[in-house]
Amino acid sequence: MNHVLNITATNTPAVVERLLQVTRYRGYELAGLQLTPRSDAKSLNITLTVSGDKPIHLLTSQLHKLYDIQQLELAGSELAVLSA
Amino acid sequence: MKGAELVLQVLQQHGVDTIFGYPGGAIMPIYDALYQSDIKHYLCRHEQGGAFSAIGYARASGKVGVCMATSGPGATNLITSLADAMLDSVAVVAITGQVSQAVMGTDAFQEIDVLGLSLAVTKHSFMVRSVDELAATLHEAFAIAQSGRPGPVLVDIPKDVQLADIDYQAEFNAAQPAAPIYTSLANAAKARSLIAAAQKPMAYIGGGVHMAGAMHQLQQFLAANPMPSVTTLKAMGSVAKDNEYYLGMLGMHGTQAANLAVQQCDLLICLGARFDDRVTGNLQKFAPQAKVIHVDIDPAEINKVRFANVALLGDMKQILPAMTVGTNCADWLAQCAQLKQQYGWRYDHPGERIYAPLMLKQLSERMPDNSVVCCDVGQHQMWVAQHMRFSSPRNHLSSGGLGTMGFGLPAAIGAKLARPQDTVITVSGDGSFMMNVQELATIKRFRLPVKIVIVDNQRLGMVKQWQQLFFNERYSETDLSDNPDFVALAAAFAIPGHCITRKDEVESALEAMFTWPGPYLLHVCIDDKDNVWPLVPPGAANEEMITEAKA
Ligand SMILES: Cc1ncc(C[n+]2csc(CCOP(=O)(O)OP(=O)(O)O)c2C)c(N)n1
Ligand SMILES: [Mg+2]
Repeated sequence: MNHVLNITATNTPAVVERLLQVTRYRGYELAGLQLTPRSDAKSLNITLTVSGDKPIHLLTSQLHKLYDIQQLELAGSELAVLSA
Repeated sequence: MKGAELVLQVLQQHGVDTIFGYPGGAIMPIYDALYQSDIKHYLCRHEQGGAFSAIGYARASGKVGVCMATSGPGATNLITSLADAMLDSVAVVAITGQVSQAVMGTDAFQEIDVLGLSLAVTKHSFMVRSVDELAATLHEAFAIAQSGRPGPVLVDIPKDVQLADIDYQAEFNAAQPAAPIYTSLANAAKARSLIAAAQKPMAYIGGGVHMAGAMHQLQQFLAANPMPSVTTLKAMGSVAKDNEYYLGMLGMHGTQAANLAVQQCDLLICLGARFDDRVTGNLQKFAPQAKVIHVDIDPAEINKVRFANVALLGDMKQILPAMTVGTNCADWLAQCAQLKQQYGWRYDHPGERIYAPLMLKQLSERMPDNSVVCCDVGQHQMWVAQHMRFSSPRNHLSSGGLGTMGFGLPAAIGAKLARPQDTVITVSGDGSFMMNVQELATIKRFRLPVKIVIVDNQRLGMVKQWQQLFFNERYSETDLSDNPDFVALAAAFAIPGHCITRKDEVESALEAMFTWPGPYLLHVCIDDKDNVWPLVPPGAANEEMITEAKA
């Protein structure tokens, strides 16, 4: 199952490492990552796609606790499409 | 002033008068500022010890513990203790020196990526890039360490930032008031109806209750909603000693009454606990008939390992009164009281040799009220939890989540400095004691009257017990029969001591230890064959405890 998370984060040096560390430690695989600084460069818009069999709330509730994460929403979950 | 002086000023604004640490190149400017500061610095002899002392200080007092280390090896030595604080939710601020920004990223001498290392072992961490950010960052560190579910925060400060000049006026109220805790009572009515309907309710109490300052609310809750209760290792001392329905610790080495009752309950009210695997045993078989009410400050704990029928998030002090409805479970209470009676501890151990559970019970009865007991990790730690009584969780400091050997001695140093009026006792094992034995030098230097009780079974006893039970008695690397002479070792640090081997020596030895005004080491030799019972074997349900008779 793939899950797409839309995240707004404070643009601090370690914020992406923190996201990825929690994602790995809690048992999800990275399936995609996009980030763009907002116009003021103080925040980042991040789209994090992860795959995993566990319920996604186990990851989102941990990511929410990261101090640099301002907003986090689950944009969608879908079974990964197998490419032929 | 310099950044280094600013650091100390901010610490003082947060009421910090005691810190633990060890100097080195990259933190020398801060140590230079300390030279003429009112803050009292306690030199540890290993940064792991210093950070454990900060944890002991924090846990015994409820204040933030502060420790410091230099870059590179100083900072890496902190990691184990930060991990300990992380898993036991202890508010600690660790300040590390870092190499100057000019050479950062070049594998400079004693440069290591401490921010990177900190990710898995801190609640949050900072690298300060400019002296202008320094004060605000330190304030944030204190706020984060204490807010919500507490935890360790690391602030890495490059040497050039420590040396930079800044025009700084300490504001009086820069320390922000604690952010209000978001509390939702929306589910309180559901919780009340589950409690009112329960025939066999059970309170499962964790460290979150006392950390929320809700000890009083807990006693009221248990009085207004009579029900049996059990506690985790971290919550020992949460339930008033005279509560007749308190069944003790649950879990792998819990009491039989606690485990049997929890397995039978139909409603489990989890208060500031997290269904740790040492508590639940086989999770699928844990309290199988129970509905669950889960109260916590950390939303991530809800439904993490056990589904909660009702969850209440936020301030325990507000939530407990809101759940009060009264119970109607006289039969169940009688049944639990009967279990407690039936499975009480027995101390009629045959023979002349010292039986650690009995010795610890005697220690517990003899120690002054409000003494703090700091444990290490292993069999002796479980015996302390089983056989000693505490009036508050702040009086029982035991490394829970990480189970870190070497915790006891340095934690006792921190506890003694936090509460100089109270007696502080370390109960350590012959293995664990050696893991931070260098802190005897700290005790010597500051003449800290810490009482040290070493329970010596000449073994890494807990591991030995598992080898005996689950690894065909293949005692791989757990024999410590060539231990040093602990009394002589203490003497090298000007700490008097005494060694006992027989039951009939215990009372007078404890008397001598408590009468002596300074630090003291009591070396208690026990049989290497003694084991901790009961024990829930790996993979088993909690009612499948092995007891001494069965083993
Ligand atoms: C730092 C660390 N290393 C290893 C362990 C694994 N371990 C758990 S208990 C134990 C034995 C402890 O021996 P001792 O302190 O003598 O206590 P005893 O069990 O004999 O009472 C060991 C090695 C640990 N918990 N912590
Ligand atoms: Mg031992």
